[in-house]
Amino acid sequence: MVLTKDAGRIYNVFICCDCLLKGRAWAVENRESVTACPCDEARVLDVAMEAGHILLQNGAEISRVEETMDRICRHYGVESGDFFVLSNGIFTTGGRQKEGSFAHVRHIPVTGARLDKVVAVNQLSREISEGQYDDIETVAEKLRQIDEMPDKKEWKQIVASGMGSGFFCVLAGGGVLDCTAACIAGILLYVYVLFIGKPYLNKIVRNIFGGMLVVLICLGCYRAGVGHNLSHMISGAIMPLVPGVAFTNGIRDIADGDYISGAVRMLDAILVFVSIAIGVGVMFSIYNGLTGGIML
Amino acid sequence: MIGKLIIEVIASALGTIGFSVLFGVPRRFYFNCALIGAIGWLVYKGALLLGAGMSLAVFLAAVFIVLASRFTAVNRQCPATIFLIAGIFPLVPGAQIYWAAYYLVTNQFDSALSSGFTALKVMIAIVLGIVFVFEIPYKVFAIARPRKKAK
Repeated sequence: MVLTKDAGRIYNVFICCDCLLKGRAWAVENRESVTACPCDEARVLDVAMEAGHILLQNGAEISRVEETMDRICRHYGVESGDFFVLSNGIFTTGGRQKEGSFAHVRHIPVTGARLDKVVAVNQLSREISEGQYDDIETVAEKLRQIDEMPDKKEWKQIVASGMGSGFFCVLAGGGVLDCTAACIAGILLYVYVLFIGKPYLNKIVRNIFGGMLVVLICLGCYRAGVGHNLSHMISGAIMPLVPGVAFTNGIRDIADGDYISGAVRMLDAILVFVSIAIGVGVMFSIYNGLTGGIML
Repeated sequence: MIGKLIIEVIASALGTIGFSVLFGVPRRFYFNCALIGAIGWLVYKGALLLGAGMSLAVFLAAVFIVLASRFTAVNRQCPATIFLIAGIFPLVPGAQIYWAAYYLVTNQFDSALSSGFTALKVMIAIVLGIVFVFEIPYKVFAIARPRKKAK
């Protein structure tokens, strides 16, 4: 920390080691207090971008992404950061008056949702506002840790899927046997999603096959005598495929006035819904063709 | 009747936990998610029992879920999204989508259309529930803010 005297006023200025060693001096007029070394402005924007990236990729709303990036920039004294956030990209520029110019565009592919990362970045942003981190590098390190947070264990996800399917079958009106069948279907469905669907197939194909698989397993259980109401079994078992995050965030983005991102997310959700319905329909047609009759 | 309702509410809570795990909600929020899922289903079923139509019941349930999510979010200091997504799940018209696909394949177009539109109506009810409650300013929810330590 270096005290700079300028026109009779004393400012508290943080200067990074690099600048200190090289003896760089910075003009700090028109600034009441500076909490970051001026050479760090680009770095601040970079870190803000990283935070935005993690949020957007893991299912945060657009307004939250913008707000968090803005909060980080303001806290570290970068007044000129401007952000334009879409559902799959962030555009950042900085630089006005005394601040160095910065421009960065980052493409962020639409992937799954990891709400724990959203929660973690949100917490970090709150702590930054409270002034817990003076050094931007600490924040960068924290963000890196958040980004590398391990996924939940596969078996946990599979059990969770079975649990969700089974219990939602109860809500659809299924009995004990129906729910057992839905639970089995949910477990097998997630085994497929984790080991075949996500690594190798795109979203449309994955969900069509997913819908087919659910119906196939439920039909198998039904023929084997486990469960006696096919519709309850299937409506419970397809729930793990339902795009809850895309749907909810789409609504919230549209409500916030982020129409482009909201529309893209809604389209994503509708695409998945339609794919599931196609999968269910195709499997029924096949079954119908094989047995040649009314199926229920 | 009451027994069935209780079983369904418990199932809703546990099912919501299942989906919270799938979406990577941190473990410390599971209980809140379950509670919100249970409240949502209770309101939905309660409204149906009192004679409300399906869309109205879903709308009311969505309103309660979003309110509960926002209060919980302020209280636990985390994004409302994590409770909202899990809590909304029991209301998503999975059965209607299934029936629409089923009727379509079996050439019962009238029934397919009616199931499809029911699903759409339920979706719109959810949308309206979310949109209306998010219009309420943050201040209203600030009463749920946890007490800060005196500095």
